[in-house]
Amino acid sequence: MTFDSNAFLIIFTGSLIAISCGFLGVFMMLRKMSMTGDAISHAVLPGIVIGYFVSGSQRSLEVIIGAGLLGILATLMIDWLRKKARVQLDASIGITFTLLFAIGIILINLLAYKVDLDQECVLYGEIAYLPIDSWITKSGLNLGPRITWLAGLNFFFVIGFIYLLFKELVLTSFDENFSSVMGIPSKGVNLALMSIVSYTTVSSFESVGAILVVALLVVPPATAFLWTKSLIPLLKLTAAIGISISVLGYYLAYWIDSSIAGMMVTVAGAFFGISVLIHGKKPAWFRGTSPANQPFGV
Amino acid sequence: MITQVENPILEIHDLTVSYDQNPVLWNVDLSLPGGKLVGILGPNGAGKSTLIKAIMGLIAPTSGYVKVFDKPLNEVRSRISYVPQRESVDWNFPASVLDVVMMGTYGKLGLFRRPGKKEKDIALKSLEQVGMSGFVKRQISELSGGQQQRVFIARALAQEADLYLMDEPFAGVDMSTETAIFQLLQEMTAAGKTVIVVHHDIHSAMNFFDWLIMLNLHLVASGPKELVMNEELLRKTYGGKLNLLTRVTDMIRQKDFNPLKS
Ligand SMILES: Nc1ncnc2c1ncn2[C@@H]1O[C@H](COP(=O)(O)OP(=O)(O)OP(=O)(O)O)[C@@H](O)[C@H]1O
Ligand SMILES: [Mg+2]
Repeated sequence: MTFDSNAFLIIFTGSLIAISCGFLGVFMMLRKMSMTGDAISHAVLPGIVIGYFVSGSQRSLEVIIGAGLLGILATLMIDWLRKKARVQLDASIGITFTLLFAIGIILINLLAYKVDLDQECVLYGEIAYLPIDSWITKSGLNLGPRITWLAGLNFFFVIGFIYLLFKELVLTSFDENFSSVMGIPSKGVNLALMSIVSYTTVSSFESVGAILVVALLVVPPATAFLWTKSLIPLLKLTAAIGISISVLGYYLAYWIDSSIAGMMVTVAGAFFGISVLIHGKKPAWFRGTSPANQPFGV
Repeated sequence: MITQVENPILEIHDLTVSYDQNPVLWNVDLSLPGGKLVGILGPNGAGKSTLIKAIMGLIAPTSGYVKVFDKPLNEVRSRISYVPQRESVDWNFPASVLDVVMMGTYGKLGLFRRPGKKEKDIALKSLEQVGMSGFVKRQISELSGGQQQRVFIARALAQEADLYLMDEPFAGVDMSTETAIFQLLQEMTAAGKTVIVVHHDIHSAMNFFDWLIMLNLHLVASGPKELVMNEELLRKTYGGKLNLLTRVTDMIRQKDFNPLKS
């Protein structure tokens, strides 16, 4: 088989997106906020529309800023509903994202004569067109596929964010009160995480779409968590799953001639299902990391 | 029966705390001397955890204020250590015992900086003090309840603070470990630290604490153990639950009764 540069680019980009989403998803899962990612991915729609309206381009910085702001707003709203209005978490999420999504749809219709925003694209995205969408500078230099650049930049930010704030992320996920007591700003850390989740969602829209990005946030971490109970292996396994679903997703989609992003998520779902089945009858040698219990006294 | 002190290490002034407009702590006004092992006694729902959380700034008071080391809380956070009730976290979290105890050192470390050898040594020493050296690498999801509680105590020790607030640190901890940790806390107070412990066992309270706070929505008593450990105040705190109280007053009568010496 010869080297297929298109296939490589698509798989590479898919892996970058899957790993970015997966890493963030691990922390969302540990905070029991996986579905907040779902809320955010829908709630950013009005931000995108407004950003688009302001800048006139679907690919502008304004769109990303608008989406980021809306993501933070959604987080604050969910938090407020839960803590101050004492609404259950699932209900707060449901109220927030449907409301913001609805506002987004109304905005699209209101601004329809000025905004030629492709709703299909926002919702579904398609990574297969990536090789024909190059980033060409004003002087005509072809720098390669734009979406790969976006995904790479995003990946870089996510890794940097997690690297810098690793101990804060872990601590605030495990014991929020304790971190506040020590003066580590748990609210700030939370908002920072939600902003980068918003940014990641938006940046991944064009390639995988708003709905499938949620799957990438939730499914790989949940699958990895079935196999390991410590954090670093959890992150590594999530990354490995991200790469595997990109490779398998691409070739399966190619084989049956279907959506690559859709196939990636289907493969992720299959991984999860298989993990659940195997996990039930995992042999003892696979499970144990801990030495035998020893009696002890102080 | 409230004893106020000069130069208190902790001063609570006329504190009222409410949940949803319902006050659960009324006009608590007390001051504590440094270098003492202080016990907080009171029935379930008396507001003990609420008092601790208000001291730590986790709940904003409706009125009144708290001063620690004669300063507002935010200026002295790194000198305060906290053991929350065990149920306040999810023990399925993917972390090892060492990871959790190291968290105690994060406050002094500050943002962005990573824990290194020094922090690890502090954590290992704290684990040794609570008798958990054999469990350093164990995942916290694989611990028993009492072991989890000891991990929390170790995490607080790793904070190397001057004031320790512990909410039922001995819930589910076995007798010999409890005694050993109480002795450790006594050594710490002898070295000038102040330790405040919410505690349900009046036997060991009589044995180990220097100072007692009795709470039942209102402050019933705060003072040296010899002054406040009496039938009247216990009755006020626990509200005539008779068989408990007769047992305790019996104990008070047999002056040097010690359940651990037998
Ligand atoms: N988050 C909350 N919202 C509303 N009411 C609360 C909340 N937490 C506690 N309360 C109420 O405040 C009162 C004091 O609770 P607190 O937790 O301080 O009691 P406690 O003395 O620590 O009891 P325990 O010995 O059971 O731990 C109780 O009546 C309780 O019902
Ligand atoms: Mg309590």
